[in-house]
Amino acid sequence: MAKIAYYPGCALNERSSHLDRSARDATLRLGFELDELDTWTCCGAVPPVSEERVMNLIAPSRILKDVRDSGRDTLITICDFCYNTLKRTNYSIKSDEITRKRVNAFLADDTPERDYLEKDDSLWVDYEGEVKVIHLMEYLRDELGYDKITENLKRSLRGLKIAPYYGCVMLRPQNEIQLDDPENPAIIEDFITALDAQPVKYPYRTECCGSYLSVSSPDASTRLCYRILTSARKNGADAIVVSCPLCFYNLDSRQKAISEAYSDFKPVPIFYFTQLLSVALGVKFGRQGFEKHNVDVTPVLDKIGSSTGKEDEV
Amino acid sequence: MKRIGVFVCHCGINIAETVDVKRVAEEAMKMEGVAYAQDYIYMCSEPGQTLVREKIVEEKLDAVIIAACSPNLHESTFRAAAEEAGLNPWQCEIANIREQCSWVHTDREKATSKAIHIVATIVQKTKLNESLEPIPVSITKKALVIGGGIAGIQAALDIADSGHKVILVEKESSIGGHMAQLSETFPTLDCSQCILTPKMVAAGKHPNIELMTYSQVDEVSGYVGNFKVRIRQKAAFVDWSKCNGCGLCMEKCPAKVSSVFDRELAKHGAIYVPFPQAVPNKPVIDKDSCIYFKSGKCRLCEKVCEIGAIDFEQEDRFIEEEVGAIITATGFDTLPVVDLAEYGAGEVPDVIDGLAFERLLSASGPTVGEVRRPSDGMVPKEIVFVQCAGSRDPERYKPYCSKICCMYTTKHALLYKHRVHDGQPYIFYIDIRTGGKGYEEFYHNAEEEEGIIYLRGKVAKIFRDGDKTVVWGTDTLTGRNIEIAADLVVLATAVVPKDSTAELVKKLRIQTGPNGFLAEAHPKLRPVESINSGFFIAGAAQGPKDIPETVSQASAAACKVISLFSRDHLEQDPAIAWVDEDLCGGCRICISVCPYDAREFDEEKGIVIVNEALCEGCGSCVAACACGATQQRNLSDSQIKSMVTASLGGV
Repeated sequence: MAKIAYYPGCALNERSSHLDRSARDATLRLGFELDELDTWTCCGAVPPVSEERVMNLIAPSRILKDVRDSGRDTLITICDFCYNTLKRTNYSIKSDEITRKRVNAFLADDTPERDYLEKDDSLWVDYEGEVKVIHLMEYLRDELGYDKITENLKRSLRGLKIAPYYGCVMLRPQNEIQLDDPENPAIIEDFITALDAQPVKYPYRTECCGSYLSVSSPDASTRLCYRILTSARKNGADAIVVSCPLCFYNLDSRQKAISEAYSDFKPVPIFYFTQLLSVALGVKFGRQGFEKHNVDVTPVLDKIGSSTGKEDEV
Repeated sequence: MKRIGVFVCHCGINIAETVDVKRVAEEAMKMEGVAYAQDYIYMCSEPGQTLVREKIVEEKLDAVIIAACSPNLHESTFRAAAEEAGLNPWQCEIANIREQCSWVHTDREKATSKAIHIVATIVQKTKLNESLEPIPVSITKKALVIGGGIAGIQAALDIADSGHKVILVEKESSIGGHMAQLSETFPTLDCSQCILTPKMVAAGKHPNIELMTYSQVDEVSGYVGNFKVRIRQKAAFVDWSKCNGCGLCMEKCPAKVSSVFDRELAKHGAIYVPFPQAVPNKPVIDKDSCIYFKSGKCRLCEKVCEIGAIDFEQEDRFIEEEVGAIITATGFDTLPVVDLAEYGAGEVPDVIDGLAFERLLSASGPTVGEVRRPSDGMVPKEIVFVQCAGSRDPERYKPYCSKICCMYTTKHALLYKHRVHDGQPYIFYIDIRTGGKGYEEFYHNAEEEEGIIYLRGKVAKIFRDGDKTVVWGTDTLTGRNIEIAADLVVLATAVVPKDSTAELVKKLRIQTGPNGFLAEAHPKLRPVESINSGFFIAGAAQGPKDIPETVSQASAAACKVISLFSRDHLEQDPAIAWVDEDLCGGCRICISVCPYDAREFDEEKGIVIVNEALCEGCGSCVAACACGATQQRNLSDSQIKSMVTASLGGV
């Protein structure tokens, strides 16, 4: 089975480990394995937007260099933030010679302290952006092909209306990310269609959920999430699918605060894209960590028909 | 030895600020062959030219060098001055110390040294310059105008009125262009059709104008005064010489095709004229939509045509013509709404562009001038107009200002108010640009008196919500975000060159600028000429333009053509390639490198000759010639060698 280097990132390693599990389950069923890096650190999460020009790139560059040094050319992430950080770091290193030199100078400087290098007596080779950073959804679309998912469906999601939520960092900035048109994307819609569910189009799919504002000014995030969720609901969505743990956190856990602030609000279940994929490919509901969700997903699962008994063990 | 005079121009401070012009003159004086050197503040001015003329006589100069701006700008000016003083014009040379020196440097010491080297280089060239005579070339006094919009029509009429023949080629079946689609025109609100159609009729009837519609230029060869063009007249499947334009065929045609002229707001048959006032008023069959061409059955039009004008066997016709000058007036398109992802990507039915709104306003449009929105025919009570939709947006779309939108959007809002009195128009704008006679007053009236709400800011997003079209924008004057649930949204989409322009310019071998619009020879001083002689440009193909400007430019281009035709023969620059017949071995390498088809093999002599009328003096063949048989007049190998030496500081 093909193994592809995999960077889980902090959220999926800790708080949202069930999402990581669903990704691993699903990909196994599609014939490839997410091969977690032996050593990895935090990617930094927001460094590409900071004013600092080099220090912010060191951690992600180190991760990318490790992948290259292990002889692999592709790195998969399933988190939009990790994807954005790693891909933009790679872009800076590839497109700007000064950045490339400075980053490598730092990397070279701190390598003697890294024990893994002691096993490796190869000469220092500058990291020049050789690794291709790829989102799991992108891999499914471009490398595996969405039709391959459709061929392997074990549960029918037919009739289920799913609203895609893109958030901010999956597609932007376009010239660096080049995954889809940030103003009128289709990658998640096509993913939903591949699962035999029905994508719901609504205007807020690319609007901000508040991101880290949920820490500093939760009310702002509550208002933003209310608009997104209500718009999706109004357009007929049974649930929303996301590909970023922070979006997931905001859209799911904010709903309690939203219910208190807005009397007309009706909750909307939130799914991570790997959960829907995993479910559709026949993995047990019990492995999805649905109990960790703030909003009850049972109404949606009922529509999928959990009682068909078709699902099998992993 | 020649006595050479060097005249160093300050160009105000353009040169003098960076280059020590006095020192350049002093150093020039020391150069071998230089008999006189002088600096002056504006050499191209009358006193400057007088200085040159006087010194030629006083100092008995055999040649002069003007150290100034690019020869593109004033070479002809100074050559004329030199000729007046009795010199052969080719004994006057320009040393470019502005564009190639002062403008691109900041270090005064180094720039001055470079300017001295440039002058020294030209001194070396001038020493060996021969006196030349211009080559006379005959001229075909017939013009080709490509594009039958208002620009092409105006240019054709002006040339035709001067007594010269014109061929007016139009891609569509009727002339008229975009102006025929417009309702009323700013700032006077006179009806577009009313001022355009008489001109269309005049062009159609003018004895000196040969109208070739439904035609395209296929091939162009030759040179100024003597072009050969091949025009493809597309098969209309209607014999226009028989057709009397009764229109019965169009009534009976069962096919339904979205009208391009009506911006897809209406349908017509597969046999159609784009609009009732078409010139010529003859229909064509759209082969892709015709039921007979698709399925082999129907031919209803043929049955109803009493005079038998329908001809399904018709084929494209090719016509060869000779002309002396070519005007390109191919007009513009607008950025398709589908390209604007944030504005609904063409998927929201009540988001239309400005030209579609013109059709809704037009008395001859699909709604007979009533403003009704496309989705359900409702009269919109709130309309949002979005300016700069794709313009002034270098990151995502076009960097330039489309120029006409501020005015036509104001006009749109005004005309809408005149038709729907209780309606509310909103206009989102970045700036309101009203440069034009009566334009500011027009805008001022609309804003103050007509209740149009102007919102300064960009629209971020447009989407459909039920039967409303929701617009999100920002009012940057209040700093507030704005949401309007509108009934109709009109985008002032960016003006872009026609798709077909790129293909056409390759055939004509003329240039376009960075945004695909036709490039003029000089943005200020030669605005209607192309760099390549014999080619002229007019209208929005050169850049976004309103009607008054388009008409002015068209008349200007026509004047240039008429002035060209007023001469008995043309004069070709003699500083071109020539062949030493004794040296040429007939290898023909020069033929393969010549971009102007100016090198021809002479079977009799076994050598390759130069067609002097075609040669532009680019020097490609000179460089390629293996045996040194081809030389450039006044740029001989020995001249180049001594110039290189001088430019490197040698003597």
